[in-house]
Amino acid sequence: MADSPPPTGSVLTVPPEFQYGSIFRQGEAAITGMWLFLAQECLFFGGLFLSWIYCRYWNIAGFDAGSADAQVWIGSINTGILVTSSFVYAMALACIQGGRVRFMTILLGVVAALGIAFLCLKGYEWHLDFADHTWVLDPDFKVKGALEGGAKLFWSFYWISTVLHAAHMTVGIGLVAYVIMCARQGRFSATYHTPVEVVGIYWSFVDVVWLILWPLIYLIGRAS
Amino acid sequence: MIFRIILLAVTWVVLMALAGGEFLISGIHMALPDRPLVLLPAGLMVLIVVLVFMRLPRAPLIARGFALVAIFWLILLLGLGSMDALTRNFWWVQGYGGR
Repeated sequence: MADSPPPTGSVLTVPPEFQYGSIFRQGEAAITGMWLFLAQECLFFGGLFLSWIYCRYWNIAGFDAGSADAQVWIGSINTGILVTSSFVYAMALACIQGGRVRFMTILLGVVAALGIAFLCLKGYEWHLDFADHTWVLDPDFKVKGALEGGAKLFWSFYWISTVLHAAHMTVGIGLVAYVIMCARQGRFSATYHTPVEVVGIYWSFVDVVWLILWPLIYLIGRAS
Repeated sequence: MIFRIILLAVTWVVLMALAGGEFLISGIHMALPDRPLVLLPAGLMVLIVVLVFMRLPRAPLIARGFALVAIFWLILLLGLGSMDALTRNFWWVQGYGGR
């Protein structure tokens, strides 16, 4: 955007939509719109985090009993995958700002592959969780006795939060695929790449949400 | 551009180190009041991602305002929402409770 270096690759002139005075203003509006969207997403996930605080406060032992059965190794590998994907996306943005469209396309392919790897691992984790009888409606629910209620609250939080996060990941992978498609059609250059930047902000936000979910689901219970 | 790529690479290394540190800290047995310490590296990681990868400092002024408003909303939501649970006192009343 404003700090873009002079184009070194192909120069693409894109006319702004009629309501904008320049392509720069149009880009600013798009980025601002994404941040406004993410502000309401903060409230969306904030409600989820509040439910974690409230339910855990009244059921600490049950939450810890539930958390003990979470697949911490998968959650931790997924954290590394997501952090790396955000890094690769930032590299892709740096490439397009330097006019290197082809490098950007390759890096975005890596980002999409990392996102798919995350979802595959998450799917495998869900499979293990089902097999481990941690589905809250399972009549053979794993935790029995006095801690069952708290453990069920923990696993309710787990299933809702991970499914919501995976849904956001799926949308993100679709957006990255769209950006790759547009790049292959030659629609981006060093002077115009607003969609690349906007999708990158969304992708990193999904990463941010996971950076909070990771300790809430897998780590805090380990410290008990 | 080289400087930026180096900055991004260093940021990635720092994030992975923080994630590793967070994982190690979580393996230490902690008293209940100390357990939120596990969230400190996570908070730092979120801050770094927002500042470097999401490039908030370079976003338009109004976008930065939206980010601040989001934090304000979150403080209100989480602060007021958890206030009852975190401040409630229980007093034992003799003879109460069915006996």
